Amino acid sequence: MAKYKTKGLDCWNRAKELRARYYEDYKEAPNRGALRWEGGAWSFDAIPQALEGEVHGLTEEPYGASIGADPALQVRYQEAAEGKWGCARDLCAYLRNYWGSIVLNEFAFGGEWPKADFIFQNHICCTHAKWLQVADEIEGGNIPYFCFDVGAGAYDKIGERQINYVVEQLYDGIDFLEKVTKRKIVDEKLIQNVKNTYDSACYWAKACELNQAIPAPLDEKTMFSLYVLGTLEKSHKDIAHFYKDELYPEVKDRVANKIAAVADEQCRVLGDSQPPWGFLRVFRYLEKYGIVSVASLYTFSLIGWWKIDKAGKLVPYPTLEEQGITIKDRDHALRLLAEGELKGKLMWAPFYGAKYKNDIVTKIAKQWKCDASIIHLNRGCEGTAQHQMEMKIAVQNLGLPVMTFEGNMADEREFDEGRTKRFIDLFVTETLGLKKVAD
Amino acid sequence: MISAGIDVGGKNVHIVITKNGTILARVGGPTGINKAEAAEQLYAEALKQAGLKREDVTQVVATGSSGPRVTFANGVIPDAAADARGVIKLIPSARTIIDVGAEEGRAIKISPEGKVLDFAINERCAAGTGTFVDTMSRALEVPVEEMAKLSLKSTRSIPMNAQCAVFGESEVVSLIHQKTPKPDIARAVHDAIAGRISSVARIVGLEKDVVMIGGVAKNLGFVESLKRDLGMEVKVPDDPDFVGALGAATAAAAGVLEEKVEAKVVEKEKIEEGKA
Amino acid sequence: MEASEILKQFSDVWELRHEYAKDWKRRTGGKVLGYFCTYEPEEVLYSTNVLPVRILGGHEAPTLATPHMFDMWCPFSRDCLNQGLQGKYDYLDGIMATNCCLHPRQAFGAWTIHVPTPWNYWFVMPNAVRSPRAKKFLRGELEEFKKAIEAWTGGKIADKDLDRGIDIMNTNRRLMKQVYELRKADNPPLTGAEAMTMVWASQLMDKREQNDLLKQLVATLPQRKLERNTGVRLMIVGSENDDRPFMEMVESIGGTFVIDDHCTGSRYFWDEVVPDKDRLQAIANRYCDRVPCPNKDWGMEDISRKRFTHILQLAKDYRVQGVILIQQKFCDPHELDIPSLRRLLESNGIPCYFLEFEVTVPIGQFRIRVEAFLEQIQAEELFV
Repeated sequence: MAKYKTKGLDCWNRAKELRARYYEDYKEAPNRGALRWEGGAWSFDAIPQALEGEVHGLTEEPYGASIGADPALQVRYQEAAEGKWGCARDLCAYLRNYWGSIVLNEFAFGGEWPKADFIFQNHICCTHAKWLQVADEIEGGNIPYFCFDVGAGAYDKIGERQINYVVEQLYDGIDFLEKVTKRKIVDEKLIQNVKNTYDSACYWAKACELNQAIPAPLDEKTMFSLYVLGTLEKSHKDIAHFYKDELYPEVKDRVANKIAAVADEQCRVLGDSQPPWGFLRVFRYLEKYGIVSVASLYTFSLIGWWKIDKAGKLVPYPTLEEQGITIKDRDHALRLLAEGELKGKLMWAPFYGAKYKNDIVTKIAKQWKCDASIIHLNRGCEGTAQHQMEMKIAVQNLGLPVMTFEGNMADEREFDEGRTKRFIDLFVTETLGLKKVAD
Repeated sequence: MISAGIDVGGKNVHIVITKNGTILARVGGPTGINKAEAAEQLYAEALKQAGLKREDVTQVVATGSSGPRVTFANGVIPDAAADARGVIKLIPSARTIIDVGAEEGRAIKISPEGKVLDFAINERCAAGTGTFVDTMSRALEVPVEEMAKLSLKSTRSIPMNAQCAVFGESEVVSLIHQKTPKPDIARAVHDAIAGRISSVARIVGLEKDVVMIGGVAKNLGFVESLKRDLGMEVKVPDDPDFVGALGAATAAAAGVLEEKVEAKVVEKEKIEEGKA
Repeated sequence: MEASEILKQFSDVWELRHEYAKDWKRRTGGKVLGYFCTYEPEEVLYSTNVLPVRILGGHEAPTLATPHMFDMWCPFSRDCLNQGLQGKYDYLDGIMATNCCLHPRQAFGAWTIHVPTPWNYWFVMPNAVRSPRAKKFLRGELEEFKKAIEAWTGGKIADKDLDRGIDIMNTNRRLMKQVYELRKADNPPLTGAEAMTMVWASQLMDKREQNDLLKQLVATLPQRKLERNTGVRLMIVGSENDDRPFMEMVESIGGTFVIDDHCTGSRYFWDEVVPDKDRLQAIANRYCDRVPCPNKDWGMEDISRKRFTHILQLAKDYRVQGVILIQQKFCDPHELDIPSLRRLLESNGIPCYFLEFEVTVPIGQFRIRVEAFLEQIQAEELFV
């Protein structure tokens, strides 16, 4: 008899539908007179989406991850990027998928590569600005390109000066958008988009916070398919509504009724970085031992916003309602957007040092009551793989057993599934001393 | 109680049969292409050496990268776990194990009871394995068994610049053309692997006593290089390549029967939940 | 002093960098601050009694670094951390990092936890260097940095001190550029290895001391005649490089590096601070306008690379016949640029050869490849 009740998420199909619609809209955009833009998951989509008329974006990382989930497709696209464009094999795996898609003139969701009307990108790691700079070059160099910098300092050092730096660039971005599209940014749309962004970011964090419950209502494998909507278009009203009015209430209900993600939860694990997308079955394998991955900085904060409260705890960033704020005008909207991202997106903290990452992950390990940690040393993404070995030391110093395995989020040539399962078996049966609870 | 441990590695099979902790037989041989068959044949030899019949053995536990292929085993334990059980039996003061075989180098931190607390593997690089020694010995035109003796004659250290096993081979050829004495080249080869292995070992932390096992532990030249690199004493038990098998036999005697891990490739799962 | 003697002194500083820095501390009583990236504003440090020294690797396998940075991170960064963990930099009073590429950031992160350097600082160098917003933001960062250095050293930095710092840096840059100018000659009076050693020494020694030597060098170099053929005129482009054996090897088989684009080469010193009464703004402008590192070489509104134009111009000015593109293994910024740069150079008739570097390089194998490259260039010349 299972330890806890379990069931799938009621809002699961809605998440799938939103994701499918996003890519369909992008494909169909020209047929509807809509604009298309390329950017990053962190691109402040609230702004281009505030242009007059219909606008649809394609964010590079989720697109790269979608290809990564299909090893055969991923190898073909990456070999195109490496062989035909000539790039190195150890570059960001998403990027190689993306470039390969363009080189082959294919869209992973069917048809030819859909040409964008403009690029609106932001930059923090080594790769982001260059990714679409080169993508533009591969396509012929004719797509208007804009990129702004969000590397303004760690979350606890953000003040007016840092916010001004980003906001001033955003104004430049607005000038750029209006010039190249010959459309105006509509302030009412911008204000609503920023409000939606806050809802998406804060309510995703609130849903993640609920995973502190025992049993955990969500497992990380499921959470991957939920946060992704925020990487597509967190400023969209339907996505904000999904997080605030569908997912969050449902997760609260699961906690109240002790509905578990994994019926035989007996070991809670802290993860890190993206998983190897083509091998998510590894999580189902862990579940046979009652192991549930309940938390990771990556899953929580790729789109979620957080803060450290006065008691030193990691808590969701306050929504606009909780802060008692009504957005007044364009400037207010841009400032709030910049502030939320710079202060709340703790995923950016490791860019400023290992101590930041260690502080956050050890808080997560304690608050989410983790028993162990399994870290995917992700060769596919330097940004999310920062300080992972320091994290291992820090979590071991908390007294938790930690296992690492090398892999790649979206390059199956760099992931040895058989070997990884051997390591998992060793860690799970030996170090954790667990026996199988399910088949 | 009579138990058997069968360690099926990438290159060799090692088998130990014990009775109440005493070793009755010890047999090793190449794995070849058909690992299951190699295990069967060598097991038959081991039984013969011990003067036993199959039914005399109460429990058989397999281990090693191809342990699951031993169809007649009662159970399988992870290789690092087998290492831990074997080492702690021979050297109770052991706390860090370094196991370098033909295709993998690993470091294991163990508790006083022989439980695996942490491990680190030299992932995806032949430059930290026994294969590197084999390859370099061919380039030096020296039998691999002679590499140890040769390197122990060297009195100086030459850095090997190539970090990669493939380049390493042609670097050895370059050193030969430069008339570098063979002992110095052999030592350089060992120093290079020792560097790689010690960096893996440092991931788990170096707590005394450090014990080295696996086939490459028989290469005393390499062991000297490793001691120099670690800056500490390294113990090597007799028959270090049989320690994994001994550990598996010990686990069998203790009645530890882990469920066999399926060796077949898992069918690609249709990911209905949506791709992130 | 003869040119050869001066160049030998630079070589000694590079080889005995730790002894130099310790001796400097004893002589001057000043503090030594280690840094990872050339976007670190040395002008502010030279306005007070702090010696900035670039953390460089030891060209040995970084075995101590592996528990802190797994193998995917660039070997140079891991080598730097390894040096710190070995205690080689135990004389440092402080260490700093900027918004450099991600790899040295890992080394800095681990360093601040495991290497007992008393003081550390993160300098937020903006990435959008072509945006006027970055210049303003950087001025603000410099203001904070100045205050932090004042607190650390216990002294105030006035405008005249900043003027001194700017002058020391600009003089150093100008003198090195004059030396580089001499490499345009048919038979340059110094090899590429010697020229780059001069730059490495600049990153390791007190620039006031180096400036005195450089003035003499500029005066004596034109008279220097090397007993060698220039051979094929080469440019070396890429990631951090202080692999002298490699440089010397190439220059022993029929090539001469007449120019480079490296952060341990010309990119470090090519651009001066243009003086302004707002000294911090002047410094900010220089760091935004300088030849960029690839990870900052992107425009706000266009996809052009400023560094590419610069490289092409250098290739023309120095009559380069071939380019060796070197890249530290796993170096993202250069990997992102290399396919495009290669296309640009080759479409301008400049052949390229790519080599991937580790902490040590397989000289024998690289020799074979470079020989073939040089032969290819010389063969093409026959048919022009």
